[in-house]
Amino acid sequence: MSKETAVFSARRIITMNPSRPFATHVAVREGRIVAVGSEAELANLATAGRIDDQFKEKILLPGFVEGHSHIMEGMMWSLPYVGAGDRRSPEGRLVEGVRDIDSIVVRLKQAEAEIKDPNAPLFAWGFDPLHIGGRLLLRQDLDRVSTTRPIMVIHASFHISNVNTLVLEQTDLLRGANISGVILGKDGLASGELQGIAARFRVFRALGGNPLSGSLTPADVARYAASACVQGVTTITDLHNDLVDNTIALYKEATRQPDFGVRLVPALASVSNPPEQAIAKVAALRASNNDKLHYGIVKLVVDGSIQGFTARLRWPGYHNGAANGLWYIAPEELPRLVDIYHKAGIQLHIHTNGDEATELALDAIEAAQTAMPRLDHRHTLQHCQMADAALFRRMKALGVCANLFANHIYYWGDAHYELTMGPERAARLDATGTAQRIGVPFAIHSDAPVTPLGPLFTAWCAVNRTSSSGRNLGRETEGLTVEQALAAITIGAAYTLKMDSMVGSIECGKYADFAVLEDDPLAIAPEKLKDIGVWGTVVGGQAKKAPRA
Amino acid sequence: MIAKAAPAPVTVIGGFLGAGKTTFLNRLLTETTSRNAVLVNDFGEINVDASLIARHDGATMSLTNGCVCCSIGSGFLETLGGLLDSGERFDRIVIEASGVGDPWRIAEIALIEPGLQLDGVLVVADASRIETLVEDRRVGETVRNQFAKCDVVLLSKRDLVTADTLNAARNAIRSVRADVRLEVLSRDMKLDQFLATAGNKSAFRADGVENGVTDHEEGFRRWTYRRSGSFHRDRLASAIGSLPSQLLRLKGACQLDGERRPLVLQMVYGDWSLSPAERVRDNEFESIALVGVGTADLPPDDVLEAILDGALM
Repeated sequence: MSKETAVFSARRIITMNPSRPFATHVAVREGRIVAVGSEAELANLATAGRIDDQFKEKILLPGFVEGHSHIMEGMMWSLPYVGAGDRRSPEGRLVEGVRDIDSIVVRLKQAEAEIKDPNAPLFAWGFDPLHIGGRLLLRQDLDRVSTTRPIMVIHASFHISNVNTLVLEQTDLLRGANISGVILGKDGLASGELQGIAARFRVFRALGGNPLSGSLTPADVARYAASACVQGVTTITDLHNDLVDNTIALYKEATRQPDFGVRLVPALASVSNPPEQAIAKVAALRASNNDKLHYGIVKLVVDGSIQGFTARLRWPGYHNGAANGLWYIAPEELPRLVDIYHKAGIQLHIHTNGDEATELALDAIEAAQTAMPRLDHRHTLQHCQMADAALFRRMKALGVCANLFANHIYYWGDAHYELTMGPERAARLDATGTAQRIGVPFAIHSDAPVTPLGPLFTAWCAVNRTSSSGRNLGRETEGLTVEQALAAITIGAAYTLKMDSMVGSIECGKYADFAVLEDDPLAIAPEKLKDIGVWGTVVGGQAKKAPRA
Repeated sequence: MIAKAAPAPVTVIGGFLGAGKTTFLNRLLTETTSRNAVLVNDFGEINVDASLIARHDGATMSLTNGCVCCSIGSGFLETLGGLLDSGERFDRIVIEASGVGDPWRIAEIALIEPGLQLDGVLVVADASRIETLVEDRRVGETVRNQFAKCDVVLLSKRDLVTADTLNAARNAIRSVRADVRLEVLSRDMKLDQFLATAGNKSAFRADGVENGVTDHEEGFRRWTYRRSGSFHRDRLASAIGSLPSQLLRLKGACQLDGERRPLVLQMVYGDWSLSPAERVRDNEFESIALVGVGTADLPPDDVLEAILDGALM
């Protein structure tokens, strides 16, 4: 690494460090920030007195920190995308959303024409009927794409899929089964919509396997890093991973490359190991950490999703009267698990979507803290979408952080208003304003690939609180200021990962990780936040121009 | 795909956390006289005498009695798929459902996967706790759902409870499923019997109907239906839908109009599947041969026959 000191100039540097919030120059040596300030303050640090002016017209922010996303985002791009929202591919290509059935069919036809083997199945991803007015994707729609090639469209939720008639015939499901996961159409035959594990198992076996359950490849990791660069992200999580040997080896190899473009924070899935083994595994992995690879977190998943009606809700439950959701960890098992990890010094990230799950997780943490008080544990509730002020006050008292799913307000806000939570609770969905008022440390996230990766969009959601139909969901009461939202995608998220001493702000001593933007988020209208162009990133002092295909 | 053997019978073991599933499976692995593949949630809990372990490679444990125990870890479908792909033949596949899972969701796999056939769902319930659990604010619904479509409830921990508590446990289960078969587990019991009777013995195999099998189960009534000819597919679907709910299961071979191959019908608690028969028997006198099991108050044979006869061509 170069011992030279580079001094970058910028139109403005927004540091997210309150003791020196703005600057125009930043000096970098050995991948870290030497100093932040004015030209006059920094000029004498520059080797040979040269100022690097490549960002002279740009705005620098701390590199964005995505506190909840998954390596699956890097795997999905091998398949065509048929979701309603626009996405940027790892190559920087704008992939427009397809917002009606005809457009989906056209997109699939294009993809179909590119597959040479006439018998190879066509898989696609990202569909959600809630995003196109509730219109289902039927086998007849997919038969317009092909009647001779198996077709399977995987929903944004990953739990539901749609197949064409050929697949139903090959699996004897068209007229041959009446089980809960095979949804019937008006004609009494299977509609092509398949839910649950039985139908999924049958179909994947018939089609020769699940294209997304294969081993991770170096290309997947490279795509994940490229997507991060495209969105200005310099620290990214992989927040639920079994961490099999192949994955561990790939992460190690990729992050050792000097030009690898992102810091990776994988979380070990608790379900993959009994806690004693998980603790030993995390300890061994931590010993292999490098500057771009940061193990240490264990992830627990307590309940399901709100829009899938599998989240656990407190009284009065779902707005439309649907039955309460599912526990993925038994309520009496959770305190035992939390206690073991807490005592072992592990940081836990706990998925709780519904408020009953959040309450249970807080009960468990409270018991663990009572049994063995531990300062600065920073256990973090992930999603935590339905917590009310009383639950946030408990988080504050217990030292618990929250990572709120702000993108939900846009993508499923209307469904939450109409179906799952009703107007009052939907207006405090992902209550960033409450967290801010009460003083719970918090971040906001995309859960990519569930929703598109893009911290500026996530910040836009938390500021504007507008659903995809344009409905205002508590903007005046729960909306953040732009400054607060920028903190949530930088230093706030870094705090939830225990990386705030290394990343999350531009200040002396930290990694020289920047998001390089075309416009100043503090100078434009808040509604334009999501439209700011991302030039690319700087990671450890290395400039990385985002690809633009 | 290579030539197929007869589908492997599947038994699913459900029950809430702490019910005693693992104890049951431990005994099953070591005491069984058949060759079982057992899929368990957590290897750490399996406690098999070391002298019985022939091989142990991390995710799979092979026992000297021919049984194999596979750890599900976080990938149940991958584990089951791997077992089927291995080509190894087992007398039975036993799958442990998660303590908060619904065993019926797993049973459905055996209904529609050609290499498998559903034999039964057993749910283990802790006699000392089940009365409280079915009413619990947080998990009551989860616990009650586990009983919804099971064949047998096995009450565990008899030695920990008084006769009154045992009675209360029975009543709690009856309040959810008045018709379900209930057994109290004891140490000297042979567990194989539950696996065999969950699916009502060999007579209940999908590949044929045998005569002269006596029914040892009290409170249940058996019904057989035999016809030459074939069913109309759509009318069969609506006929199955109009069968009385007292008919718990219906299984066997049948012929459908316009289909060359005979099909296997499996109906369990109203859910059903039709899949190609793996083998055609030599002495095929009837083209439709189904056997049903219902509760004691199952309507008379002629009522049931009239419903299915309406679907004949």
